Amino acid sequence: MRVAAFDRDRIGVIGNDETVVDVTDLLKCYDPLGPEALLPDLIAHFADLRPELARRVAAGGGVPVAEARLRSPLTRPSKIVCLVGNYREGTDRPVQILDLFFKSPEGISGPGDTVVLPPHQASIFHHEAELAVVIGREAKDLAEAEALDAVFGYVVYNDVSARGLGRAGINSFLGKSFDTFAAFGPWIVTKDEVPDPQALHVTVDVNGERRQDYSTADMERPVQELLTYISSVMTLHPGDVICCGTNHQGLGAMQDGDAVVTAISGIGAFTIHVRDEHERAWTRGVDREMAERVKAMAQHPAAQTAAQAGSGGSAR
Amino acid sequence: MKLVLTGDNRLGVLRGDGMVDVSAAFADVRFRTAADRMPRVLALLGERRARVDELAAGGAPEAMPALQAPVPRPPKLIAAFGNYREGSDRERQAQDMFLESPDSVIGPDGVVVLPNHPATIFHHEAELALVIGRRAKDLPADERALDALAGYAAAIDVSGRGLGRMGPSRIGKSFDTFTPLGPAIATPDEVPDPQALRVTLSVNGEPRQDYSTADMEYGVVEVLAFISAYMTLVPGDVLLCGTNHQGLGALQDGDRVAMTIDRIGTLAVSVRDPQRREWPRGIDQATAARHGAVGGA
Repeated sequence: MRVAAFDRDRIGVIGNDETVVDVTDLLKCYDPLGPEALLPDLIAHFADLRPELARRVAAGGGVPVAEARLRSPLTRPSKIVCLVGNYREGTDRPVQILDLFFKSPEGISGPGDTVVLPPHQASIFHHEAELAVVIGREAKDLAEAEALDAVFGYVVYNDVSARGLGRAGINSFLGKSFDTFAAFGPWIVTKDEVPDPQALHVTVDVNGERRQDYSTADMERPVQELLTYISSVMTLHPGDVICCGTNHQGLGAMQDGDAVVTAISGIGAFTIHVRDEHERAWTRGVDREMAERVKAMAQHPAAQTAAQAGSGGSAR
Repeated sequence: MKLVLTGDNRLGVLRGDGMVDVSAAFADVRFRTAADRMPRVLALLGERRARVDELAAGGAPEAMPALQAPVPRPPKLIAAFGNYREGSDRERQAQDMFLESPDSVIGPDGVVVLPNHPATIFHHEAELALVIGRRAKDLPADERALDALAGYAAAIDVSGRGLGRMGPSRIGKSFDTFTPLGPAIATPDEVPDPQALRVTLSVNGEPRQDYSTADMEYGVVEVLAFISAYMTLVPGDVLLCGTNHQGLGALQDGDRVAMTIDRIGTLAVSVRDPQRREWPRGIDQATAARHGAVGGA
């Protein structure tokens, strides 16, 4: 099942005929405190709601997806947990120590929205396409065998990243937390429709030009291992999202006027636009220097800190 | 006014040694959990101040009930990297911050539980906390920024060192129970100068941290201006202003920790470690020397 947010504070389910059926009324019984509670309520009560949701979709009467104004299917998660790195990127190194950071939940943007580059003097603004996992129930200390039970579904994520800001030698990741820098879309696909999250094809196209193009089979730590580790640190809630990290081979600049399409096979694709009042310009195409630097770092982990200090930023 | 949230979800204002229930001033605020409620209460606090004051002045105070954190699960928990001069005369460092898990917050008399993760040590970091009272973006770096505040609180940024692969500590600060917060939100009128507050922390009665917010590299208004240039702040957000590393030490099983900030109050918690690991007691002089010389987090 595909669950979407659309128009103004509406929640819908996408049918096989590519129409979106409004199911917002089914969620009113949970007495939501505000529109941001609708989706977490649907997720938390999904087992109960599912038969009725399926009946609604089968009955039809939806609006063609192309005519609906899709929004980020995650309206305001309580946490956006992001992995640092997490892809082998063509190296044969041992699995690295897991690391993570949090992204501002006020940074949400979605299909058709505009990512606004701030006036900060970043060295570059990168796209980072990622598989993101939406949590289905409150969870702490998940065992690996049961970890996927806590998953509601999967969504496409673009972890927009400003490089080179902040204190030298420190990895604050704050350059990823500007408003509009957490792009989710086009809908959440429930986990039953994603039989193997480690066999998905992730791409980014900027103005029609292919940039990122990788498989989730290359992940260092698969989804259930991420869930096990993260839930050993913190309690997860319905609608929280775990972003599985990116493959840095294929990152490139996002700049004024760009249309960025982020896609994952079996989930979907969505477009975000880029606006930069300062109309800064970077080299178009894949950022080869970044790609090589991350590979070199991966092969010589001891060089990691020096490489970061030298760049004034870091591979994230 | 010092606003507290009781263990049984009542809103109170401190008076004398006790508390007066002011829940009636917010009876119309719908909520499911205390976490939902406090951001809504804080957003209304300014316009309902007269009513709250009236309730707080009337009636006899009750004996202090058990409290929970005044914001049990903030919409965002944001922390400044090392933000004190610490006796050095260096140029001030570039400002930088990061986000922590909002699920790490616990309240007064809560228990910090050390996780079964291979940290090299778990440090206490006593910090001045700012609690946001209204939506805000791009605040100016002057006293107008203070209008965004609901008030101030005390916080301990418990820090597991040596976890994750990229320093400094981030993941090691986001374990559940690692951010004791409280005991109250002291409204800005209680704190005429946030840069003249003494912050102390003791473990089992032994003094550890003892510093003044006068030593901050970037003061409260600069903290607010910096972070609001990145992201929209919302009511209930909590910003930790960073610590002075002179006086950090280990937290370990059975410890009783008390921190006090002038004009705000005392926040006490205990520590439990199911693994019963042990570290040297007293101040961690190596960490103090490192940060006094070059700064850090």
